[in-house]
Amino acid sequence: MHDGTLLRLVIIPPLLASQLVFVHFVHGDQAMDAHRVTLGRTAGLFIGAAVLRLALFTIFPGLPDLLTGRVEVSTPVTSFKRLQEGLFLYNHNVSPYDGGVYHQSPLFLPLFSLLPSSTTLPIFTYLLYIAVDLLSANALIKIAESGEAGSSRLFTSPRREKRWSGYILAAVFLFNPFTIATCLGRSTSVFTTAAILHAIAKAVQGAPISAMIALSFASYLAMYPLLLLPPLLILCYDRQTANKATKSALAFTAKHFLVVAGVLGALFQMSYLVTGSWEFLSSTYGIQLTLSDLTPNIGLWWYFFVEMFDSFRSFFLAVFWLHLSCYVGGLSIRIRRQPLVVITLLLGIFTIFKPYPSIADVSLFFGLVPLYRHVFPLMRYTFLIAGLIMYASCLGPAFYHLWVYAGSGNANFFYAVTLVWNLGLSLMVCDLTFAVLRDEWEVDRPEMVGKDIRQI
Amino acid sequence: MPRLLSGAHRLRNSPLLLKLPPYLSFLCIIVGVVWLFLLPLDEYSRRTYISENALLPGQVHTYFGGSDQNVFRAFKHEINALADTDANSTVVNDKVAEILEDIGLKTARQRYRYAGQGVQGENIYSVLAAPRGDATEAIVLVASWRNGKGEINRKGVTLLLTLARYFRRWSLWSKDIIFLVTPDSAAGPQAWVDAYHDSHTAGVESLPVKSGALQGALVIDYVKEDRFKSIHIAYDGVNGALPNLDLVNSVVSIAGGQMGMGVGLQEMWTHRDTYRDRLETMLRGMLKQGLGTASGAHSAFIPYHVDAVTLSPYGDGWQDEMAMGRVIEGTFRSLNNLLEKLHQSFFFYLLMSTERFVSIGTYLPSAMLVAVNFTFTSIALWIKSGMPEAEVGKGLEGKRMDKARLGQVERDLFLPLGVVVVVQALGVVPLGLFNATPQQLLAPVFAIFTILNLILPYVLSELLRTYKPTTQQYQLILSFSLLLLGMFLSTLATLNFSLSMMVGLLASPLSFVRPGSRFWAIPLALVSPPVVLGVATAVLKHGSFAAISDVLREAAFGWNVMGMYTPVIVWCVWWPAWVVGSLVVLGRPSTGKAKTA
Repeated sequence: MHDGTLLRLVIIPPLLASQLVFVHFVHGDQAMDAHRVTLGRTAGLFIGAAVLRLALFTIFPGLPDLLTGRVEVSTPVTSFKRLQEGLFLYNHNVSPYDGGVYHQSPLFLPLFSLLPSSTTLPIFTYLLYIAVDLLSANALIKIAESGEAGSSRLFTSPRREKRWSGYILAAVFLFNPFTIATCLGRSTSVFTTAAILHAIAKAVQGAPISAMIALSFASYLAMYPLLLLPPLLILCYDRQTANKATKSALAFTAKHFLVVAGVLGALFQMSYLVTGSWEFLSSTYGIQLTLSDLTPNIGLWWYFFVEMFDSFRSFFLAVFWLHLSCYVGGLSIRIRRQPLVVITLLLGIFTIFKPYPSIADVSLFFGLVPLYRHVFPLMRYTFLIAGLIMYASCLGPAFYHLWVYAGSGNANFFYAVTLVWNLGLSLMVCDLTFAVLRDEWEVDRPEMVGKDIRQI
Repeated sequence: MPRLLSGAHRLRNSPLLLKLPPYLSFLCIIVGVVWLFLLPLDEYSRRTYISENALLPGQVHTYFGGSDQNVFRAFKHEINALADTDANSTVVNDKVAEILEDIGLKTARQRYRYAGQGVQGENIYSVLAAPRGDATEAIVLVASWRNGKGEINRKGVTLLLTLARYFRRWSLWSKDIIFLVTPDSAAGPQAWVDAYHDSHTAGVESLPVKSGALQGALVIDYVKEDRFKSIHIAYDGVNGALPNLDLVNSVVSIAGGQMGMGVGLQEMWTHRDTYRDRLETMLRGMLKQGLGTASGAHSAFIPYHVDAVTLSPYGDGWQDEMAMGRVIEGTFRSLNNLLEKLHQSFFFYLLMSTERFVSIGTYLPSAMLVAVNFTFTSIALWIKSGMPEAEVGKGLEGKRMDKARLGQVERDLFLPLGVVVVVQALGVVPLGLFNATPQQLLAPVFAIFTILNLILPYVLSELLRTYKPTTQQYQLILSFSLLLLGMFLSTLATLNFSLSMMVGLLASPLSFVRPGSRFWAIPLALVSPPVVLGVATAVLKHGSFAAISDVLREAAFGWNVMGMYTPVIVWCVWWPAWVVGSLVVLGRPSTGKAKTA
């Protein structure tokens, strides 16, 4: 890559992205008045998002490959480049996991083998990724339209009137620069995102079995979504349709747990048939559990484990995973009345603390946060959070450039920025938690409405 | 953390804190500038030293001389013959190829063409395979036929050929040596280095012969016909990137210490190591770094992490071409010793004399302070925009605010965000305009643009008035714009300190403008990017306004060929911030009440 071209490409996307943000805000402004989403407008939005992506794919042919190579977009477990490698091995009847490059699910291989090669006829790959993004947006619309964010079975927010329609949410998601970058970078995490959003959408629509199937797919692809099972079960339980509701929580849990286990078992069996061995388990989930690929990413794990003495490695792996999963129980119990909040917060927490995070996870979290438009006025650090995240997204590529290309910086530069980035994200999670809890608290203690509080 | 944050949260209601930001911003700028002027003092700068021990500069005996002088004279004769007939690139290369092949080196050629810039030519080079190496590493010796001023580099090319003959006789090289002759000192080296790293554009041919990773490059710019006194080291790369300080130090140590020549930097022909001279050297260096243009054939190498400098003799003294040759020999022997790339952390420095420098940790805070002042103002405006309108008017005159009435106001973000994003996106227009316009039209286009640019804020502010923006919205527009400016400048400070500092200082009035204060319109117009560009050109080039077309041509060449991003910073960072600032100053807030939450 010519260095200048590279820099130019690094500079241009934020500019374009900023244009896009504008587009969605203009739309948003109009949508403020009308709460009912008409089908035509949604179709227009989807066409707009698809055309924009196609335009970016075709006008800047170098852009997809540039983004695919960025550590912010592609991680070892989602990279499109690695997928190509696995695909090549698979098509030549070699185990895709030979060589230790491919760490993604085996079922991607037959899917991408069906598509024409992405080097000769990339348009089909582009269309697939665009379609997946639109499916995710569609699921988001359904989640928003259900009104679950403002009033669940056990809790109704007094502020729920002030909300954004599904149309705005879809627009925020589709025109989020992070979502666009993920789509252009063809990271396979878009499939996980779509599966998670569908699981939530099905749950709020009162279709618990479908929700469980979607969640199983997400877990199969990326493993960590399995941690969403408890809050999702609660959500499904709360949103059951009255006529065929299971009253007993235990029976409900057992039944749906079996569904997840069954679907996962079937998927594993299919994977076994595709690759001919159980090797994929250690190459996909094993990699995530043991963090054996230390490629830098925007998360907090890699630097820590690069620096660590080998004798402490397994201990800290256990600690890090325990830390990641310990939020599930606590949040599910504390915010029992609003399970969708728990799911949103958990997705934010996973974005910060999972082993291989990328901006794809951020785009999913940012896609769900606007559901809580009604508690935004209660958030206290919006400007700080926006500033931190923007500063980090600006400084990250610059420091990575100094480290890897210019050779005048070092790994500490980039890691320092990822710390700032994760500080921004964790402030956002904290602030959202605060806002949601305060909203609940003001219902319990009406005399405290509008009063300043000192500590959460 | 929560306790700390909620403490900060309560603090922001203090009326005193709200009056502080303009003073704080002003303080940041003043401290930033004073900081810069302190740097040349002995207490803040450091003596240079060689941190890579393997270099051992000046430790070897150099043997270039004696009969090589006769060889030099013979080659000089040939080169003079070419230069006097004003031969074109192909004829020159035929001759150079003939000489190199007589020496026993194979030659290779590369044609290049940058159609948009109307530049073309042909490079010629040959690779001296290392007798003790494995062709995995190489050092480059470059001489361009014409230097940056357009003079023919007679002695430079001759010296390169003589050294090629001389180096070939030695068996001690452990790295390949590449001898490169380019027709000019900008496009030729750029085309060659791009092709060497397989990242060349369509009009540039690939290289038929290559060697290993480039470890360093030395450029000879030797047009002075009679004996010289000192050598000048040019070290600035494109976009303000610098070669490793160890390379500069090695040359200083060899030329100054071993050979007893004077060494000059930044075209300071006399340097008495006083505060004034140090400051001037530093500021010249910063100016060059900030503009980001190439300062010689070596500039093309630096983006590829190849450390490179240009050496050019100056002054009247008693040193001859053999002495110059020995300096190059000594430097090459040092580079030949290297076991790994120069990697010690001196890629960020400001030199104030050949012996003194400041490193990034010492100077970075000044640019960061200037960048941060915008962020302070932005935060202040954000907080202020969240207060009820009546309070803002009176509260700031020092009236104690009643805490109970101090409710938060819901902010309307759509219009401000939209305005900032549109103006930011508009930056693409001048960027494209000045990089795509044919050269002869640049000056008139610039004149028209300058005039339109001064009218633009009035037009935009009228347009904006149709949306009836409130004071709060004007504050938010300015706040977002300054947030972006501060963010871009602090990022830039890590990549190109000087450019960030320059843009930061020129944009600093934007920190003090407030919605509706129309008297700021004139001062702001004076610091608009096109006006500053025009005035700076007139002052720096000592010339008329017409010199602007040269500057713009150079900028377009830098952007299109060398990947120089200074135009992006000017048009997509500074200019949008200026437009938003002027727009806000001219705005007349409508008196519509803001909704309270």
